[in-house]
Amino acid sequence: MTSNGWLQIGVFFALVLLAAKPMGLYMAQVYERKRTWLDPVLGPVERLLYRLTGVDAKAEMHWTEYGGAMLIFSLATMLLTYAVERLQHAIPLWNPQHWPAVEPYLAWNTAVSFTTNTNWQSYVPEQTMSYLTQMFGLATHNFWSAAVGMALAVAFIRGIARHESKTLGNFWVDLTRGTLWVLAPLCVVYALALVSQGVIQNFKPYDTATLVEKQNVTTTGTDGKPVTSVVTTQTIGQGPVASQEAIKMLGTNGGSFFNTNSAHPFENPTPLSNLMQMFSIFLIPAGFCVTLGRMVNSPKHGWAVFAAMSVLWFAGVLTCYWAEAQPNPLLKGVDQHVAQMGTAQQSGGNMEGKEVRFGVANSALFATVTTDASCGAVNSMHDSFMPLGGMIPLVNIHLGEIIFGGVGAGMYGMLIFVILTVFIAGLMVGRTPEYLGKKVEAFDVQMSMLYFLIFPVVILGFAAVSVLAPFGLSSLSNHGPHGLSQILYAYTSAAGNNGSAFAGLNANTHWYNSTLGITMLAGRFLMIVPMLAVAGNLATKKIAPPSLGTFPVTSPLFAVLLVGVIVIVGALTFFPALSLGPILEHLLLRVGTSFQ
Amino acid sequence: MSDLIFVAASFVFFIVAVVYIRGCQSLKGGRNDA
Repeated sequence: MTSNGWLQIGVFFALVLLAAKPMGLYMAQVYERKRTWLDPVLGPVERLLYRLTGVDAKAEMHWTEYGGAMLIFSLATMLLTYAVERLQHAIPLWNPQHWPAVEPYLAWNTAVSFTTNTNWQSYVPEQTMSYLTQMFGLATHNFWSAAVGMALAVAFIRGIARHESKTLGNFWVDLTRGTLWVLAPLCVVYALALVSQGVIQNFKPYDTATLVEKQNVTTTGTDGKPVTSVVTTQTIGQGPVASQEAIKMLGTNGGSFFNTNSAHPFENPTPLSNLMQMFSIFLIPAGFCVTLGRMVNSPKHGWAVFAAMSVLWFAGVLTCYWAEAQPNPLLKGVDQHVAQMGTAQQSGGNMEGKEVRFGVANSALFATVTTDASCGAVNSMHDSFMPLGGMIPLVNIHLGEIIFGGVGAGMYGMLIFVILTVFIAGLMVGRTPEYLGKKVEAFDVQMSMLYFLIFPVVILGFAAVSVLAPFGLSSLSNHGPHGLSQILYAYTSAAGNNGSAFAGLNANTHWYNSTLGITMLAGRFLMIVPMLAVAGNLATKKIAPPSLGTFPVTSPLFAVLLVGVIVIVGALTFFPALSLGPILEHLLLRVGTSFQ
Repeated sequence: MSDLIFVAASFVFFIVAVVYIRGCQSLKGGRNDA
């Protein structure tokens, strides 16, 4: 680890800290329907949309109606994306490479993936999707799924803020305002900033470049024998990248235009664009802490939640950076050319799978940030991390992606942990648990536990089948504990709606496309429903004045207890699986054992 | 044929989710703990 690396990490966090308050206060204005400086422009657009769709903007919704509207919207947009993928060959628009229709299993997996804000990609985007599909099918979903998550978080916050109310707001209004007032304006500015750094934005057919040196490439032929061919040209992908890149990061979507995601120089060309991308992942989730504080009229509570998130973020980046800054013990003394110490020419540490433009520090930070949030964009290959370094992204998702988290999803996930923390604190002091003056009762805890249980059930259930069945094992690129990590990561990423891949598993098979699709749906919608049930129930409660027995949710003690509950729940649930995967791999690596 | 299966599967999942909403709501309705 270097002081330069820590300085960059420090600058990143300082930017997040500085931006959280203005971002959070602005979002509170937007969702409380108070006046903003964008109203003269966006107000007429909003009213026109309501008139065209017949939405009564003043109507309030019970939590069941709110959830129902969210489900209808998600189903409709998911089927629309599926149709666009299946028909892209027949639409003579923005398909200069003439890509054929996307195969049904893959099309469904992708439609589910983008609907659930997962953006898992079992395909090579620049060799599969037309420009139209990328923009109309996928980039639009990046806006919609993010706005849905933000709407749900606001609904939960209203459940806490309101009292003796049966409603949580209007889903259609929250969806519209989140898209128009928050995501769209930020993305316009952000996309232009990315273009200034060299991110491309065009509709050109792909370029072809003649290689300076001919390359001999050996592949496996249809008869299973190696075939060597001479490659003299390289195809260079083009397309409307910047516009997709902006919402990909701001909406914590993560689905890339190119297969190598933010390691591709057309997506992430400079260290500054890399910093902007990491910052934009945390911008809205960090702002939501301030929004929470403002809307429940307890700013200190919002900052206590922010502090708990920050502690967990720091623990993750510290561990990941430390693990990746270490030399690979298997390469020590093997070859004098495999120098792993930091020099003027290289950053040192484990550089396998990392971009030299970003080095170890920015790769470890990016991996931590993208899995703290439910983004899933990557600027390095997690599969090539050291075992403990690769375990950090896995653990971040296992904790529920509540370390700032996905836009909206991180906040409502964290609030469920807050409910559990308050409940445990109440048990410890022998008083009825209260959260901001509201009693936490059996139904709230039952729904919270349902929320927590769905997550490991889908991950561990499908992973268990995959490690036993030949159709699961045939996709692995490594065996032993690393192979288990690959499978575990895939289902974890899908259930957590993260979308990042460990990059060693071929998931474009019928088994993985269909079961990962089911996992994404379960990890999104089956967890949202109990969360909304808690929110709806909280809204109906009376607010009692604080007493001596009330556990304050604004103190450092609360933040410490919250961190403890998150770590214990995550550790108890997934530690056995982790001990058979990355932890065992780490121990075996130290005695010189690796797996092909 | 595959298209029909995937579209039908999507509908089935979302219908299950709606039933799930009703189930959660009925759990609340069956208890008087507020």
